[in-house]
Amino acid sequence: MTWVQLSLKEWRRRPLRTAVTTAGVAIATAALFSLLAFQRGYREGVRLELDRLGAHVLLVPKGCPYDAASMALHGASWPCYLKQRYLNEVRTVPEVATAAPVFMAALYDADSMMIVYVGAESNIMTLRASWRVTGCFPAGEDDLLVGSEIARRYAWHIGQRVRLPGLANQSGTISGVLAPTQSSEDTFIHLRLTDAQRYFNHPDELTHILVRLGDPNDLDKAVTQLRGCDAGLTMNVVPLAHVFHTIQSMVNSTRLLLGCVAAVAFLVAGAGVSNTILIAVAERRRELGMMRAIGASQFDIFRLIWLETLQTCLGGALAGITTAFFASRGVEAWVRSSLPFAPSSSLIHWEWWVVAACLGCALILGSLAGLLPASRAAAVPPMMTIRGGGGWA
Amino acid sequence: MRLSHGHRDPVISAVGLSKIYVRGREQVRALDNATFDLQRGEFVAIVGPSGAGKSTLLNLVGCMDAPSSGTLKLSGQSVGELTEAERTRLRRDRIGFVFQHFGLIPTLTVAENIALPALFARRPFPERAEELLAKVGLEHRRNHRPHELSGGEMQRVAIARALMNEPLLLLADEPTGNLDSATGEVIIKLFDRLNREGLTILVVTHNPALAKAAHRQIELADGRLHQRLKTDLQSDEPLVNLQTGPA
Repeated sequence: MTWVQLSLKEWRRRPLRTAVTTAGVAIATAALFSLLAFQRGYREGVRLELDRLGAHVLLVPKGCPYDAASMALHGASWPCYLKQRYLNEVRTVPEVATAAPVFMAALYDADSMMIVYVGAESNIMTLRASWRVTGCFPAGEDDLLVGSEIARRYAWHIGQRVRLPGLANQSGTISGVLAPTQSSEDTFIHLRLTDAQRYFNHPDELTHILVRLGDPNDLDKAVTQLRGCDAGLTMNVVPLAHVFHTIQSMVNSTRLLLGCVAAVAFLVAGAGVSNTILIAVAERRRELGMMRAIGASQFDIFRLIWLETLQTCLGGALAGITTAFFASRGVEAWVRSSLPFAPSSSLIHWEWWVVAACLGCALILGSLAGLLPASRAAAVPPMMTIRGGGGWA
Repeated sequence: MRLSHGHRDPVISAVGLSKIYVRGREQVRALDNATFDLQRGEFVAIVGPSGAGKSTLLNLVGCMDAPSSGTLKLSGQSVGELTEAERTRLRRDRIGFVFQHFGLIPTLTVAENIALPALFARRPFPERAEELLAKVGLEHRRNHRPHELSGGEMQRVAIARALMNEPLLLLADEPTGNLDSATGEVIIKLFDRLNREGLTILVVTHNPALAKAAHRQIELADGRLHQRLKTDLQSDEPLVNLQTGPA
């Protein structure tokens, strides 16, 4: 038998009380785990989505830049449009390496699944370095590049002539299939810009322009020039780096609030653990006195009670992490519904350092919560044992 | 005159031992000027009415409390000069304790309860624990918990635990106090056997049969020691040489 085993046996004595105390730590740890995992997942998700656009600047019609960024990333029908002639002005800005015009519209198919049509020129491929395409980008009239989920759902293959879902009497030929991107693009159908404009009756109009700079360090200069041109008066120039930072700032305030809640939960759980162990020490005074009588030193008793406290906190932490892990889908759905901008990838993204941080917090909590009861227990005199009274084996 | 059984090396040597408790303004003299020796291999019973100071004497001899005055030597070592940590080591390595209420930990098995003192002493213990289980006849109860045992079995476990660190001296506080007479008889026989194997035993008891099994009896009354020359507590013969030291 070791000291750890001896302290573990204590869980048998009052299982319900131990479980309730442990639950307090579990709730606090679950909150902390979710918060840390969310922080990591959200940040990574937003960064990945913006990177996936492959653009440094997004040019959109006047309106909320964050709504526009969200629509460009996740696909939607746009309420207003840019004139295609703005594209020529944008391309005259020296810092602009690539300006990719996009016309986007969303429809629902017979099964109420949203289908996003994206009309673009082939230069969009220079922005999508991560794309893996089987076949080629649409080059001829009615050619289609379809996302992996669309291809799977409709069982489409390259060379097949298909009816376009949601568009009556329109058809196209599959020229390429996009490998899974784990993003909204898996449900997109890409086609030539002119075809999209024709299908949706918006000739010479765009929903947005993706701009990639020759040197990202020239962002401020490029933004100034884009805003200064004639077209700049009727469109929003949205630097995506600024979008990223602004979204992060908005989320940071929420995160701070949740962090405070987690901290308070930890403090309450620590007080609960300390109180429970103090009660247990009071109940076990005769037993602790007996241990002292048969040779346990004050340090031995301190260590025993301290270990019991640590084990309660560690047990609670493990239960909390497990609960948070399995409840992450529900937490994610709730968080997603309350965020102004949520990436399509998982918001709760845990890593081992998150687990280690939660266990570390529980260890610190247990260490501090155990100090008072362990000190009280160590001070129990061995004489307690000789004096009369029942209540123990 | 010292209360002593012979002139060998005493395991315990107490001279003028007193213990005074203060309750508010009142001073209670729980033990008054006690002088006695306990020789190696002796089996001595301390008897006396409740409140006579038996538990106080056991606390002092067991190094669990410090005397108000007087000196106490355990195996030649003066206990009064020891620090708390040294007294703990002395209890752990030299003294075995048996309590009236057994003092077993309910969450541990019989084997684990017996091994507990070895954990405190940081010694390997599996063989010793098995040996003691056999000695008290409880091998078949190895993995049982205290609530699954009878009173007699619990006390045998407590005795085995007291022997774990091979003590010089076994102190027992009313070891048959919670047992029926038949079960008490088993415990008395076990004490007798342990004493025959060389263990020095000091037992506080109200049980005449246990006191009779001892080599000699020391009676405590009002904190003062007296010695019975007869071991038969049922005897009507008067106590002899009652007071020791200057009263």
